[in-house]
Amino acid sequence: MKPALCLVVQARELCTGIFSLWLEASETAHRVKPGQFLNVKVSNGPDPLLRRPISVCDVERSRVRLVFRVVGRGTAMLARVRTGDELDVLGPLGRPAPELHHKDIMLCGGGIGTAPLLFLARRLRRANRMQVLLGARTKAELLLVREFRALGLPVRLATDDGSAGYRGVVTELVEQQVRSQGPEATSQGRGRRSAVGGKPSAVFACGPRPMLADLVKRLDPIPVWGFVEERMGCGTGICYCCALPKKGGGHVRFCEEGPVVKLNEVVL
Amino acid sequence: MNPQVTIGKTTFANPVLAASGTFEFGLKFKSVANRLGGVVTKAITLQPRVGNPPPRIYEFPGGMLNSVGLENPGFEVFCREVVPHTRKLKCRVVVNIAGATVDEYGELAARLDSEPVDALEVNVSCPNVKEGGALFGQQPSVVEAITTLARRRTTKTVIVKLTANFVDPVETAKAAEAAGADAVTTINTLFGLALDGNGRPFLGGRNGGVSGPALKPFALFCVDRVAAAVKIPVIGCGGIMSTADAVDFLSAGARMVQVGTANLVNPEAALDVWNGLKAHAEQNDLGNWDAVVGRTRRRS
Ligand SMILES: Cc1cc2nc3c(=O)[nH]c(=O)nc-3n(C[C@H](O)[C@H](O)[C@H](O)COP(=O)(O)OP(=O)(O)OC[C@H]3O[C@@H](n4cnc5c(N)ncnc54)[C@H](O)[C@@H]3O)c2cc1C
Ligand SMILES: Cc1cc2nc3c(=O)[nH]c(=O)nc-3n(C[C@H](O)[C@H](O)[C@H](O)COP(=O)(O)O)c2cc1C
Ligand code: FES
Repeated sequence: MKPALCLVVQARELCTGIFSLWLEASETAHRVKPGQFLNVKVSNGPDPLLRRPISVCDVERSRVRLVFRVVGRGTAMLARVRTGDELDVLGPLGRPAPELHHKDIMLCGGGIGTAPLLFLARRLRRANRMQVLLGARTKAELLLVREFRALGLPVRLATDDGSAGYRGVVTELVEQQVRSQGPEATSQGRGRRSAVGGKPSAVFACGPRPMLADLVKRLDPIPVWGFVEERMGCGTGICYCCALPKKGGGHVRFCEEGPVVKLNEVVL
Repeated sequence: MNPQVTIGKTTFANPVLAASGTFEFGLKFKSVANRLGGVVTKAITLQPRVGNPPPRIYEFPGGMLNSVGLENPGFEVFCREVVPHTRKLKCRVVVNIAGATVDEYGELAARLDSEPVDALEVNVSCPNVKEGGALFGQQPSVVEAITTLARRRTTKTVIVKLTANFVDPVETAKAAEAAGADAVTTINTLFGLALDGNGRPFLGGRNGGVSGPALKPFALFCVDRVAAAVKIPVIGCGGIMSTADAVDFLSAGARMVQVGTANLVNPEAALDVWNGLKAHAEQNDLGNWDAVVGRTRRRS
């Protein structure tokens, strides 16, 4: 697998510190599946040395979208990429998220963790009923809400300060949703089959680790598939630097057996 | 140009190897492995090891620290599930072995003797738990003992991978040579500690091993000295990211090179190094590597 140089066809700041890049990458766009990521070289030289893993947020024809938050030096350098620049990416990497059919699926995204769920929603919505719950600190930091709504999916929001939707953390909203609603779902969204409320048969979540741990606890025993965004070395399965302890002992090499893993089976 | 290099009984198609622990078993990127001189497997221990808790990697400008902790499926699973695949690779397969005791090195060497692998790389950069946790490779006498055992118990090529942590690798290289090693790899990672900003160790294994570009000047220094002190071939390792780095190691006296951390950044890095070396040889009309290997000392 060779790294590829991809043209950045659109670079833009979505809100303070959160950036969106559309790359012209036809091979990747055709091969990539939800749950997979690209490993991005943020500089030409040896510093920073390692690539930065970023999930594929969306795909449109020959283009791939990455949405990321600036948290340190590497992502700050990535934020300086401009339309017309070339980006050195390796991928798609990781095991695709499970392909589900005829399920009631709940997507739960916290902050920047919303990004990888969009591509998943786009691909899973036709064969499944789906609802989306997104959380952030404030209304301004809620991400990609318009894109999810454009898929015809019911979207519920939570903000820490109550500036949009439910006031509180998104995991609380998820729990309420699961517990309060009966099993039937109402049809919504221009005839597309989508559920509002009801017990999901699968939950996909992406967000900070405490959020994921909280969600697993609240929803137990409903299986929660989580996107693991922890430190990696290679992203290709050759270095064993990515390790998530398994409940029964041993580790999950999550760049290869993930990044989407059944959170109920790992120690968070 | 004949790019081959022979070490002990093993002839490698070219002088570039993927370093232990940085290329899995060579099976993830077979088309890369097939075109290298060889791959060194990640370390194999007698018993399976789960390795260290996360985080296992820390990055700093110029390099990284790892504390993988020798996670591996153990000798038996390796032979049953991995070797049937590695034997199909077109390159040489060198098995990196790590013992918990001196005797375990002997046992691993003996049991690998009948396996379809090409050579052993004896990783003496492991803590000798029985002797207080210092690395086996920090004492020339222990290196000699381990090498003697391995040499006696296998007919395969024996390479000893030296550490330079608080030990002069010239001394341990001489010990390995005296005990019958076919070559030495110089060097393994150097000790390092990273803190989390609040005074706590960052890595799950507490201490880590430094690798990457930051290691290169010291690794080159070690290769230069070791190559001048022993007659057996030296395999250079440490911070090789490019063909130019590899040429430096050959110049300093290495007969072969290993590419490690660079594989993490680009799985084709070792192949790029080899393609670059080939081009270098063609441009300079080299018949073999002799004109390059060790030229630093010949010139100074
Ligand atoms: C599979 C996967 C998918 C991801 N997808 C996205 C995404 O779509 N959008 C997004 O904004 N972020 C995503 N992340 C997190 C992103 O990789 C980190 O925020 C980024 O690596 C931080 O780099 P830095 O240099 O800015 O931070 P620094 O803290 O300066 O980085 C220091 C080192 O730690 C690593 N690191 C720090 N935080 C993380 C983290 N959370 N996960 C992995 N490595 C980290 C860096 O790669 C670097 O090696 C993903 C992570 C993984 C593993
Ligand atoms: C993630 C990682 C795992 C490693 N595992 C081993 C190992 O199992 N056995 C070993 O002898 N060396 C191991 N090493 C050391 C490398 O083989 C090499 O000696 C060292 O990293 C220096 O070379 P480099 O700077 O090119 O990486 C490991 C290095 C890294 C980065
Ligand atoms: S990051 Fe290297 S094996 Fe997962």
